[in-house]
Amino acid sequence: MVKIENLNKFYEIDGQKQYVLNAINLNIQKGECVILKGVSGSGKTTLLSIIAGLDKPSSGKVLVDGEPISKLPDMHLSSFRAQKIGIVFQNFNLLDGVSLADNAMVPLIASGIGLKEAKLKAQDALKLANIDHKANKTPIELSGGEKQRGAIARALVANPNLILCDEPTANLDRANSLSFIQTLKELHNMGKTIIVATHDSLFEELDFEHRVVEISQGSLVGRG
Amino acid sequence: MNELFLNNYVIVYLFSEAVLFLIALYAFFKDISILRFWDFNNFSSKQLKLEKQSYLLSTIATFIFTLKLTLLIYFVYMIDSLSIIIPGAMCGAGVISANSYGMSLLFVKLITIFTFLLFLTLNNLDLKAKNYPLLKFKSWVLLAGLLLIFLETYLDIAYLFNIDLSVPVSCCSALFGNLEGANPLPFGLDIKMLLILYYTLFVSIILSLLLDNKLLTAVTLILFAVISYYAVVYFFGTYIYELPTHKCPFCMMQKEYYYIGYFVWGTLFSALFFGLIWVIIGLLKYESKVLKRITVTSLVLFVSLCSAYVLYYYFKNGVFL
Repeated sequence: MVKIENLNKFYEIDGQKQYVLNAINLNIQKGECVILKGVSGSGKTTLLSIIAGLDKPSSGKVLVDGEPISKLPDMHLSSFRAQKIGIVFQNFNLLDGVSLADNAMVPLIASGIGLKEAKLKAQDALKLANIDHKANKTPIELSGGEKQRGAIARALVANPNLILCDEPTANLDRANSLSFIQTLKELHNMGKTIIVATHDSLFEELDFEHRVVEISQGSLVGRG
Repeated sequence: MNELFLNNYVIVYLFSEAVLFLIALYAFFKDISILRFWDFNNFSSKQLKLEKQSYLLSTIATFIFTLKLTLLIYFVYMIDSLSIIIPGAMCGAGVISANSYGMSLLFVKLITIFTFLLFLTLNNLDLKAKNYPLLKFKSWVLLAGLLLIFLETYLDIAYLFNIDLSVPVSCCSALFGNLEGANPLPFGLDIKMLLILYYTLFVSIILSLLLDNKLLTAVTLILFAVISYYAVVYFFGTYIYELPTHKCPFCMMQKEYYYIGYFVWGTLFSALFFGLIWVIIGLLKYESKVLKRITVTSLVLFVSLCSAYVLYYYFKNGVFL
């Protein structure tokens, strides 16, 4: 599902290359759940952003579902991301002024689906994330855990095969974090490929099949 | 250096052109490196940098095109305004023919705009595919456009520096009596034959577009542009001015004629440019209904507008000029 070969990301500061990611090689199979573990500043978010096509590598190959995502022109990249990738951000990134149902419909705008169908899909996604009872509430009326569920619904609405989560429990208490992990388990059972970037120790005790990949100072520790 | 360079219009014009020249110079080197090193199947740092640069170049090209189009209109307005300080000139016709560089400059300006419009169309098609199939071709087109900008900058300077304010120029006054001397029309045509050819070519272009005949469209469009120039100057223009002796391509762009010349020439060049681009991308096996529609619409507007002036004059006065 995700194949990364010799990936580098660096910034040139005063003529010196400052590496954020260094010679990353990683192969993630379809349906696999990978926990990308590392401290803050280790390069987890950058790696996730490159896999999502939100950032470009400095060199190296990144294939997502067989497509070289870093080379896709913008208009292809947007539709590819809308159809194939769901992203759950650390700060949820929900639109405060509109309802949760409307927030969940946002990724469908790019795919050109009709409003009626989009509403139905959003309803299904909210149900899957166990937040359908708050569909008409705006994010400012919701708790952190509820916002997170809204973000999950938005990530799932287009039925993507790849789910990327960036520090998904950083703003949640333990109960909500465990509830989130339960949702991940359900998604894993549905056959979704999941990559979670986190430094939360709760992810070390998952009760479903997963692989932990450790990243430190921009390099993978051990075998990717 | 003459007092022309103290004119506000000229200062603004030259400053804008200088900015464009510098941007074009930067784009030129970036474009050269894309042409030399582009290899889509490579995932090296250099290639990924070139991919980012190709986006930058398309942004620069969009900026250059927009500014060049605005500057073309401004240039025509400027040379018309300069007629008050150039002895003998009554409109842009006199100013543009103040030396041998003027007409070449105007021609290069039109070709430059066409080249950038072609680049932007190719770029749009290129980005619709996943693997940049037109990248090399569009980069060559961009290179040609950038070289034209350099040529244009040279002609700008040569033209403005070589306008001698102490020597009177010939203007519309010379154009007025043109038909009384040697026939100025091409291919030995008279006005009647010119108009028959004008309307025949118009119908031919519409038919060739409908039949998707690329070669016929290109040939008829180019011929039509040439014939249209003469038809507007020597026939339709006289109805715009309502004066049978006034045969000038520039005066119709003045306030007295409600700046209608901009629309007349604008629709003609729009039809010519978009039509030719439709032909070129057709040769590359791409189709664009939008380009075809723009060509037909511009063409119909141009012919309708020209014809409307004649009909209006006839219904108003009961006679033709």
